[in-house]
Amino acid sequence: MNLHLSSAPHAHSRESTTVLMLNVIIALIPCVAAGVWYFGYSALITVAVSTASAVLAEFIWQKCARQKVRIGDLSAVVTGIIMGLNLPPQAPWWMAMVGSAFAIIIVKCMFGGIGDNFMNPALLARGVLLASWPVRMTAWQAVTGWNSAVDAVAGATPLVNPSVYTRLDLFLGNVPGTIGEVCKVAILVGFAYLLITKTISWRIPVAMVATTFVFSWIFGKDPVTSILSGGLLFGAVYMATDYVTCPMTARGQIVFAVGAGLLVAVIRNFGNYPEGVTYAILLMNIATPLIDRFVKQPVYGHEKGVRKQNA
Amino acid sequence: MPDKKTFRGGVHPLHRSHEGKAPTRDKPVREYAADTVTILMGMHLGAPSTPCVKKGDLVKMGQVIGEPVGFLGLPVHASVSGEVVDVGPVQTVGAVPGMAVTIKNDFADEWVDTLEPLGNVEKCDKDKIVPAIKNAGICGMGGASFPTHVKFAVKEGQYCDTIILNGAECETHLTADHRLMLEHSVRIVDGLRAAMRALDVKKGVIAIEDNKPDAIEAMRKAAEGRLGVEVQPLRTKYPQGGEKQLIHAVTGRQVPTKKLPLDVHVIVLNVGTAAAIADAVIDGKPLISRITTVTGHVKQPSNLRIRIGTMIADVVGECGGYSLEPGKICVGGAMTGLPCPSDLIPLTKANNGVVVYSEAEAAATEETPCIRCGRCVEVCPIGLNPYKLKYLCDADDLKGAEENNVMDCVVCGSCSYICPARRFLTPSFKNTKDKITLEAKKRKGQ
Repeated sequence: MNLHLSSAPHAHSRESTTVLMLNVIIALIPCVAAGVWYFGYSALITVAVSTASAVLAEFIWQKCARQKVRIGDLSAVVTGIIMGLNLPPQAPWWMAMVGSAFAIIIVKCMFGGIGDNFMNPALLARGVLLASWPVRMTAWQAVTGWNSAVDAVAGATPLVNPSVYTRLDLFLGNVPGTIGEVCKVAILVGFAYLLITKTISWRIPVAMVATTFVFSWIFGKDPVTSILSGGLLFGAVYMATDYVTCPMTARGQIVFAVGAGLLVAVIRNFGNYPEGVTYAILLMNIATPLIDRFVKQPVYGHEKGVRKQNA
Repeated sequence: MPDKKTFRGGVHPLHRSHEGKAPTRDKPVREYAADTVTILMGMHLGAPSTPCVKKGDLVKMGQVIGEPVGFLGLPVHASVSGEVVDVGPVQTVGAVPGMAVTIKNDFADEWVDTLEPLGNVEKCDKDKIVPAIKNAGICGMGGASFPTHVKFAVKEGQYCDTIILNGAECETHLTADHRLMLEHSVRIVDGLRAAMRALDVKKGVIAIEDNKPDAIEAMRKAAEGRLGVEVQPLRTKYPQGGEKQLIHAVTGRQVPTKKLPLDVHVIVLNVGTAAAIADAVIDGKPLISRITTVTGHVKQPSNLRIRIGTMIADVVGECGGYSLEPGKICVGGAMTGLPCPSDLIPLTKANNGVVVYSEAEAAATEETPCIRCGRCVEVCPIGLNPYKLKYLCDADDLKGAEENNVMDCVVCGSCSYICPARRFLTPSFKNTKDKITLEAKKRKGQ
């Protein structure tokens, strides 16, 4: 008889890192589908290229660095899909490749790989693309339908000229924007899936969107249009909730989400730049270690007044 | 108290399969006496007892075969009648062998009177109850095996206002306490009343997880008309039966760090311990047998009343043998069970179960990088930051780990269970706690 002597616990939850990443991938499918529906096959190609590049970049880095190849955990797939969904539909394929490679190699692998990056890889890559190719990144393709092969004329983003689009258009996604952010229905379906599978908690998305809602109102904008415009919902559901770059405690996550929501409203209303979600989340990513340091949960037997209360 | 109480955090292991309890929870307890028993001298927390019999001696059931040593010492009694065939060290679940007395059972089951029966728990001399508990060799039967009489040693300025009987049985697989509550509910209440009378405690609470509605019903019936005894249902969640979590759920009090339950005026006893107290007080019978759940990959999973010192191989044989080549054998449930180096390990007063795992279930998992998902923080019933502690423990930063409250860790296993990266959180905290304790002892010694 050859017995294992590994110590307790002898049971494990079935949710491994791979399962959690797979849940996110499944939750992203509606967004990809909606993007293809509105912008045509070129959107699908963009997402496919960014995803393949992300996985390949991680594989090459880990081979070159003589690290254990961990592409099987699917985290690079998630980064790649989110990178693709963050691009405008007419983005050239090389931009998707550059974005994914930057996200994986510079932001993720160079800081230590999965779990050690201090900013959301896809989001920082988006930030870099925005700074490098501002025109290409903000020239929005008008909605053309799924079978369109024509590169249609660019329209204005709803954030610049909100009166052009109805709330229903904004909700359904019948507006220009990046591939993933336009269709709010798809995002909410994905959000529901993530909640049902307990992959993420409701805290960050709900608190972030609610904060933007309130502050847009205070700043004199139509709050409903504000939360339905731009990448707010997409960012709140899929990017602000990135495990690695958001705080660990429930209270910390609320602080993080309120901060991000406030920054979105501030950048949109007082900044030079119509969209603020990218930089709002990135700034809160940087603040995360600080939040984790100061926002702690109460420890059993250490709470103030424990002794008094029991006396 | 009809509402279900609970604590913050926790996990729900094996919730798809009734916490692994389904194979045995409806099986009545079966008596089992093995051919030989190997009774360890160090079954309780504290110094091992000194054997007071030698090879060739004839002993009777209940006879003292080990004399207590020190403040935490307890006597050890023969669990069968027969001939002592060996006195010497044997293999245990721990790292070091333990002194044991091996007795060949003559199946006469002849008792010797070691204790004076005190009779009715409501009328007996209450000053004799705690000595009876000590002389019966009773220690905590839920797993920690702390000598029970020491829990009753109330110091100057301390008092106890509530005794909680732990019938949560939150561990997976185990149904020993469940069956005990169904089959010996009156004994448990008698034991609780004896414990309450010993310290003039007005309130006794029997706390049971709500996955055992039949046990809640049985205990309610048994508690009817008994002075100050009530039954409290608890939500089914692990580690609901952890002492600190149980106290918090039932009384709303928190045991301050580095303090004991008595500091918040509570004593917690396992339901099995209460039944053993009743046996000692009413009948004058020492603790020589207990109920153990034998489950996992055995042919007939069962609840057995075994004599203390029965070998694991013997109980597995009584349950029809292994149903496949075992990969891991543990005493205790899946969350805190101790792995056994072989099946030639004698069971003690604290062993509430034997679980056999297959090779596939036992195979080592690979530790992958932390993804900072925060699940460990969410489930920690103490409110620690396991992800952070793990880095400190891996770096052997004892000071840092202590500052981050590693000593408050109850080693429940919740963080390791939930971790999607399969990091060895709990084992490294246990290891670090042991190191810190050792360091403190060394400092004291100098």
